[in-house]
Amino acid sequence: MRYVKLPSGNFEDFFNSLRGIGQIYGPVKEGKTHHFRRVEEAGEMDLKYTRTMLPPKKFFVRPRERLFSLEDGWWRKEGDENPFVLFGVHSCDVHALKILDRVYLSEPVDPYYAERRKSAFIVGISCLPDELCFCKSLGTHFAMDGFDLFLHELPDGWLVRIGSVRGHEVVWENARLFDEVSDEDIANFKAFEERRAEAFKRELRSEGLADTLDLAYNSPVWKEYAEKCLACGNCNLVCPTCRCYEVCDRWVDAYRAVRERRYDSCFMESHGLVAGGHNFRPTRLDRFRHRYYCKSYFDPSAGFNCVGCGRCDEFCPAGIEHVKVLDEIRGSLE
Amino acid sequence: MNPYESHPARILEVKDLTPREKLFTLRFLDEKLNEEFTFRPGQFVIVDVPGFGEFPISLCSSPTRSPIQLCIRKAGRMTKFIHGMKEGSVVGIRGPYGNGFPMEDMEGSNLILVAGGLGMAPLRSVLWYALDTGRYEHVWLFYGTKAYEDILFRDEVLHLLKHGSAMNCTVKLAYEIESPSCIYLEQGFSDRVCRGVVTDLFRGENFDIENSYALICGPPIMYRFVIRELLNRKLSPGRIYMTLERRMRCGVGKCGHCVVGTSVSMKYICQDGPVFTYWDALSTRGLI
Ligand SMILES: Cc1cc2nc3c(=O)[nH]c(=O)nc-3n(C[C@H](O)[C@H](O)[C@H](O)COP(=O)(O)OP(=O)(O)OC[C@H]3O[C@@H](n4cnc5c(N)ncnc54)[C@H](O)[C@@H]3O)c2cc1C
Ligand code: SF4
Ligand code: SF4
Ligand code: FES
Repeated sequence: MRYVKLPSGNFEDFFNSLRGIGQIYGPVKEGKTHHFRRVEEAGEMDLKYTRTMLPPKKFFVRPRERLFSLEDGWWRKEGDENPFVLFGVHSCDVHALKILDRVYLSEPVDPYYAERRKSAFIVGISCLPDELCFCKSLGTHFAMDGFDLFLHELPDGWLVRIGSVRGHEVVWENARLFDEVSDEDIANFKAFEERRAEAFKRELRSEGLADTLDLAYNSPVWKEYAEKCLACGNCNLVCPTCRCYEVCDRWVDAYRAVRERRYDSCFMESHGLVAGGHNFRPTRLDRFRHRYYCKSYFDPSAGFNCVGCGRCDEFCPAGIEHVKVLDEIRGSLE
Repeated sequence: MNPYESHPARILEVKDLTPREKLFTLRFLDEKLNEEFTFRPGQFVIVDVPGFGEFPISLCSSPTRSPIQLCIRKAGRMTKFIHGMKEGSVVGIRGPYGNGFPMEDMEGSNLILVAGGLGMAPLRSVLWYALDTGRYEHVWLFYGTKAYEDILFRDEVLHLLKHGSAMNCTVKLAYEIESPSCIYLEQGFSDRVCRGVVTDLFRGENFDIENSYALICGPPIMYRFVIRELLNRKLSPGRIYMTLERRMRCGVGKCGHCVVGTSVSMKYICQDGPVFTYWDALSTRGLI
């Protein structure tokens, strides 16, 4: 990794220099929650945020997007890729994008997703956990790759880790804004990271979790929670790794149709329904359990399908807490 | 390459198979694609009716023959729409998708095909492939249908019922609803046609189990009974193949609809399947 320092006084110039890449999106506070929004000035952003409602996945897998439009009887591909900057992405969300990459960039590559990934310049930013974060238990509290630049807060600026050639180029082109990293900066960086690691209040016991859950298939705990759950699908929408989509053709007028895809949720009854009315996950219990099984799927090469961002807890209207459910399931076996 | 883009194909022929199912014979407009398109039995394509939608359908013809054929049941909105389409119309086809049956691995062995209802469609591909290549010891087809009118590919099935032995092929039929045609068949082939369910056809049949593979396709309820029958005969779970159905949107492992399994093992029916062994079902919850 290459490291440089961005002194506080140069932050705004650095932000402005990124405009050369394209439109900048960053965390903006609206009411009680944060959202990634188009920003023109560095000051519009609130960089001391914990989590946004919708994760950065919305830039890559859009809530609704056009795949094709029907012209002269056949499909024409849609797509409008302009380079853009995602400013202030937390480490868990960087990890979540890597999970999406494994799906969308594996053969056959999803061209819509791939083009947007190529168009995005990602600037990560360090954060402090709140009571809902459990990324540390999943090893997603620190990102080693998956970003172009990553900013770590220092008392008088930022320690910048450079994660890609493009990141390097941006630093190079703006060399006057950056300093060499001093011993003092390193000590501060280390102290910050240690303090941060200690700040986590919530912990997920991940050892043997996958097998434990599989063995607890018939646990009564699933049923208890399935009864509380409203099946609203919020947890799917806000999850940075949820990515199910539905496709539909829609006529825009009498002559033109479009094929669109939009977020789908495994809590919807239609998710497992096939022709003839057979449903492979007919009850709310089946669907509730499925989501936990999907999120706790353990890929030996990449880990779990959850990055511990705490969004599903914060935005669940029934107050269902992810780690608590898993702990109780585990407890029901012991 | 855009994996969601389908290729225009002309409907050469539409044939009524039963009141609910039609056979579509298709040819790509792009000649090069017609030459290059190949697949293995058990694979499927996604049919695209632009402006109306897409749906997955198994290839029911064999890679040993062209053009390609699809047997489509009128089951809902889109399949109803395509049932209304005429010869000469153009639809989109993308694929082939999925793993298909491991035809090479099974060479030299017996194949026990067990079909229930529409399950006959993908197994017809295996049947033709086996008979065309002659690379298999003996082929059984056990086919369970509701009624005489529901027998898919009736001419072909009845032809093999009569003349199959010359091709090392034994066809057996089970029907549920009695009709003069069935009684007539039963009288002519009392050892191979009976009233009952598909598992009844196993009675009196002795397989060289060590050298056999079973390939099953039918409604979800059928698997349990057929598998029990095969396990009783000591067929290894690794030699029982079945093809499964799930809701599918993308066909290429992205949309998440066909995912099954738990935290330890999750599978995409569209890519890891639709063909699975019974061992896969034992180790992956929710597969069957
Ligand atoms: C691998 C595979 C191979 C197949 N092979 C064949 C084959 O060879 N032949 C064949 O005939 N069929 C086959 N099928 C089944 C075929 O794909 C379905 O019959 C077809 O998709 C039905 O489409 P439809 O538009 O006509 O039905 P739809 O109208 O889409 O209905 C499908 C089902 O989904 C429900 N549904 C759809 N949309 C919604 C919604 N928005 N909300 C709630 N419920 C909804 C409907 O109620 C219905 O039960 C195969 C399926 C798979 C997965
Ligand atoms: S399951 Fe919950 S905590 Fe885990 S990544 Fe999704 S939203 Fe975040
Ligand atoms: S957000 Fe909560 S209530 Fe809504 S579907 Fe998810 S778990 Fe159920
Ligand atoms: S059909 Fe989309 S993931 Fe399998």
